[in-house]
Amino acid sequence: MTGLPQPTSASPPASGSSLACNGLARGHAPFLRAPEGVNTVYLVTFAAACAPLAAGVAFFGWRALVVAALCVATCGIAEALCYAFTRVPALLGRSHALLTGLLLALTLPAFVPWYVSVTASVFAIVVGKAVFGGVGHFLWQPALVGRLAVAVLFPMTLNPSAWPLLAQGHLVVGDVEQARPAENYRGWRRAEPPGNAHAFALPKPADTLAGLTNKDDPPFSALLFIPEGLPQAKPAALMKMAPVNDLLYGARPGGIGETSAILILIAGLYLIYRNYVKWQLPLAFLAAAAFVVAALPVALARPGDTCLTVWWPAAHEGPDVGFIYVCYQLLSSEVLLAAFFLAPEMTTRPVTAGGQIIFGAAAGGLAMILQLYRLSPIPAYVAVLALNTFVPTIDSLWRPRVFGRPLLWRLRRKQD
Amino acid sequence: MAYFCIHFAHAFVYDGAMLFRRYGTFTGGIDLPDEKQATLDKPIRACPPLQRLRVSLAPCGGRPAEMVVQAGQLVRAGDLLARAADSGGVDVRAPLDGRVGPMVSVNLAGHGEFVSTPALELTELSEPPNLTGVPARDEGWNDLSIHELGVRIAEGGLATCRGRVRPLWAWIQQARSQRCRTLIANVMENQPMVTADHRLLVEHGDDVVRGLAMLGRAIEARELVLAVDHRRTAQYRRLLATSRLHKVSRIALSHKYPTGADVILVKILTRRETPPGRSTLDVGAAVIDAATCLAVCHWVLAGRRQVGRVVTVGGSAGQPGNYYVPFGAACRDLVAPWKQALVHGGPMTGLWCEGEAVAAPSTDAVLALTEPAPVVPRPCIRCGWCTDHCPARLNVAMLNDEYELNLLDSSRRAGVMACVECGTCSYICPAWLPLARRMRQLKWAIRLTDARMPLLAGTAT
Repeated sequence: MTGLPQPTSASPPASGSSLACNGLARGHAPFLRAPEGVNTVYLVTFAAACAPLAAGVAFFGWRALVVAALCVATCGIAEALCYAFTRVPALLGRSHALLTGLLLALTLPAFVPWYVSVTASVFAIVVGKAVFGGVGHFLWQPALVGRLAVAVLFPMTLNPSAWPLLAQGHLVVGDVEQARPAENYRGWRRAEPPGNAHAFALPKPADTLAGLTNKDDPPFSALLFIPEGLPQAKPAALMKMAPVNDLLYGARPGGIGETSAILILIAGLYLIYRNYVKWQLPLAFLAAAAFVVAALPVALARPGDTCLTVWWPAAHEGPDVGFIYVCYQLLSSEVLLAAFFLAPEMTTRPVTAGGQIIFGAAAGGLAMILQLYRLSPIPAYVAVLALNTFVPTIDSLWRPRVFGRPLLWRLRRKQD
Repeated sequence: MAYFCIHFAHAFVYDGAMLFRRYGTFTGGIDLPDEKQATLDKPIRACPPLQRLRVSLAPCGGRPAEMVVQAGQLVRAGDLLARAADSGGVDVRAPLDGRVGPMVSVNLAGHGEFVSTPALELTELSEPPNLTGVPARDEGWNDLSIHELGVRIAEGGLATCRGRVRPLWAWIQQARSQRCRTLIANVMENQPMVTADHRLLVEHGDDVVRGLAMLGRAIEARELVLAVDHRRTAQYRRLLATSRLHKVSRIALSHKYPTGADVILVKILTRRETPPGRSTLDVGAAVIDAATCLAVCHWVLAGRRQVGRVVTVGGSAGQPGNYYVPFGAACRDLVAPWKQALVHGGPMTGLWCEGEAVAAPSTDAVLALTEPAPVVPRPCIRCGWCTDHCPARLNVAMLNDEYELNLLDSSRRAGVMACVECGTCSYICPAWLPLARRMRQLKWAIRLTDARMPLLAGTAT
C-alpha cells in the first residue's frame, strides 16, 4: 500500500524545446483530428492561385506558362537543396515551396527572361524562407521577397514604359515578345490588330493614372467631365483609360496574375469559404485602399500652366464619377492580387481578426499612397512587405478579451 | 436576481408552451461530427459477468480510505469496505457480492491524468445488476427540511461524477457557502460517441430530475435548469411532468462543441463569465451532471448506494452499448476481445488507457479506438484556426510560442488559465500540434509554481 497517490503518466514540466517534438502519436486527447493538414491548405491555395494564372496564360501567351513553370520548379529545387544542406525539417514543406513559386510567377510579367525567374525564385526560397528556418518561421512573404529582389536587380527589364498584351486572335499561343505600340488604343476589343505582331505594347493603366498626381505638369484637366470654359488641350483622365471591362476580365498589361479582377475575386472568395483567408483582411485592405484613393488630392491642369489641387477627388465631380475613379485606381494595379493572395499568407499576417484588420488597412492604405505618387514600381507588394515587418508587434499589441476577464484587463493592473 | 438573469439572458425565447426553451450560443467552438448512432438507441443493460473487481480506496484522490474488512471475507453489495480517511474522501462500498481479495494497485482517472491508487480486489462476484428506476413516490423527501435533506445526502457518501471527482457533500457545502442560486444539470454531452447521459435521461429522466430537485433544495438554489442538446429533445418528452412539478427549466442548447464545458454553459445560461482559473461556483452557478443527480435520487428515495454508473462502451468494440458498470470493473473487460488502444472518457477530452484502468465515478465512456497513425507535428504555420475556434478566446498560437519558449509568466498574462481544456485547438490544428496538451501543461506548471513557490508566483518565467 502506497502513501500519497503518484501520477503515473509522466507529467513533465513545461520545458519547451524537449517537448516540442512530442506528437499526438500516442496518448493525448483529443483522439479525433480534423481532416485538413498543412499540405491541404497549401495545395488548395495553389489550386486557387491557378485561376489568375489561367487568365495570365490567356492574355500573355505561352511565355506566362513558361515563367510559372520555371518559378515553381526552381522553388521546389531550391527548397530541396536547402533541406539537403541544412537538414532543417521545416524546410521539407514542398507544397509551400510550390505555392511560393506560383505566387511569385503571378507577380512577374510574362516577358521576363529566364534568369529573372530563376533569380527571383532562389531569392524567395533562400533569403525569404530558408534563412528564417523554413515553413512557419519567415517574417516576410517569400514570394514578395523574390519579387522585390528582382525589382531591385533588374529594374530596366521589369519596368519598361510599354507592356505587351496579346491581341485578339493570338490568345494563349501568341508571343508577347512580338509587340508593337498601339495607336489610339481605346479598349482591347475595339483595338486595331497590331499587324504582323502578336501583341500591343501599352503603358500600364496605373502609370497613366499616376499623371493625376503630377503637380509639375498635370496632363489631365479633369477626372471625367471637363468644366466649361477650359481649353480642351488636355483630356480627362478616365477618357484616356481602357473600358473598365478590360480591367475586370484581365485584358490589360501587367503581371501574369495581376490583371484578371474577376478570377482573383472568385478564387479569393473560395479561399474565404474554405477559411484559409479571413474575410476581414481583404476587406480591410480594399476598403483602406479605396479610402486613400478617394481622399488623397489629385492635380488638375488649369489655364496658364497652373494646377488645381483637389482633395477628396471622389467627391469632386459627383459620386458616380468618384466611384468610377476609385474602381479604376483599384483595378489598374496589383492591389487585388495582394489583397487576396499575398497579404493573407498565413505565416506573415497577424493571427487574430482584429490584428488582421489593422494589418490589412495599413497595407492597403500604404499601397495606394505608393501607387498614387509612383514611389515604387510594385506599390502593393512593397506595402505588404513593409507591414509584414510589424506583424509580431501587431500580434502582441492586439489581444482579444479573454473569457472571464473584464474589458481592457491589461489597463486595470489586476492579476488574472 | 438569478431568476432575471436566466430569463432575460437568451437570444431567442420561444413560447412557454414549447417543451424546451432555446438559448443563444458563444464565440468560437466547432461543429463536431455526431457519430453517436452506434449507441444512441441502445437501452442501458447490465454489465456482462465479471471475474473480479478492483475497487479503488481513494476514488476522490487524496488519502486512501481505511479498510474495515479482512482479506478472504465475504461481503454483500453495498457493504462498507473502507472508511474515508478525511473529509476529502468518501466511504468505499462493495459494488457486488463477493470475496475480498488482496490489496492491488489500479489506475484511476483523475482530472486530466490517470492516478495510481491502492485498491481492494473482489472475486467470486455475483451477477451485475441493471439500473432500475425508483417508483414515483415523492413524499419520502418532500417533508425533509433543508438541513435534514443535507444530512441524508451526506450519509450516502456520494461522489460527483464529472471531471474532478469529489465528495458530493463537500460540493454542496461549497455551493452553499458561495450562495449559488442557480443549479444547472449539464446533460449536453456534445462529444462524439458518448451517450451515457442521454440514455440516463431517456430511461431514468424522472429520477434525474428528482435528484436535481433534491440537490437544488440542498444548496438552496432558486433556479433549476436542465440543459440538453437540442437534437435530442424529442426523446425527453417524458420529463415534462416531473420537471414541471419540480419547477425545473428545460433548456435546449446548440450542439456546437464545447457547449458542455461548465464555464461555457454558465456563460450561455446566465451571462456570467467565470474568471480564469476559478470554478463556476465562484460566480454563483453550480453545475452538476446527470449521473450524480441519479445517485442522489436513488440514495434519498430508495436507499441505494452509489456503486456503479452508466458507461458508454463504443468504438470498434465487440458489443457497443450503454452498460450499468459497477465501480472497479477493468476497462479492458468491458471491451473484451479488443486488444488495441482504449480511451477512457470522450474522444475530445478523454484519457489514453495505460495499464490497469478501472471504472470510476467519472467514467462516462470507454471507447475502443483504432490506433491513430503516428504523426510528427509540423511547425506552426500561424493559420490562426485555434485562435478563431477557442471558446475562451485565447490566442492559442501565441500561447504555443510561449510554451516553446518556456514563458510561464507571459502565458499567464495572456490568460492561459481561462483554457477550458476542450481540445478544439488540437482537433483543428493543421500542423497536428498537441496544443491542448501544451495548454494543459502550461496551466499545470503555473499551478505548481503558485502552490509550491508562492514567492515566485507571478514572476516565474
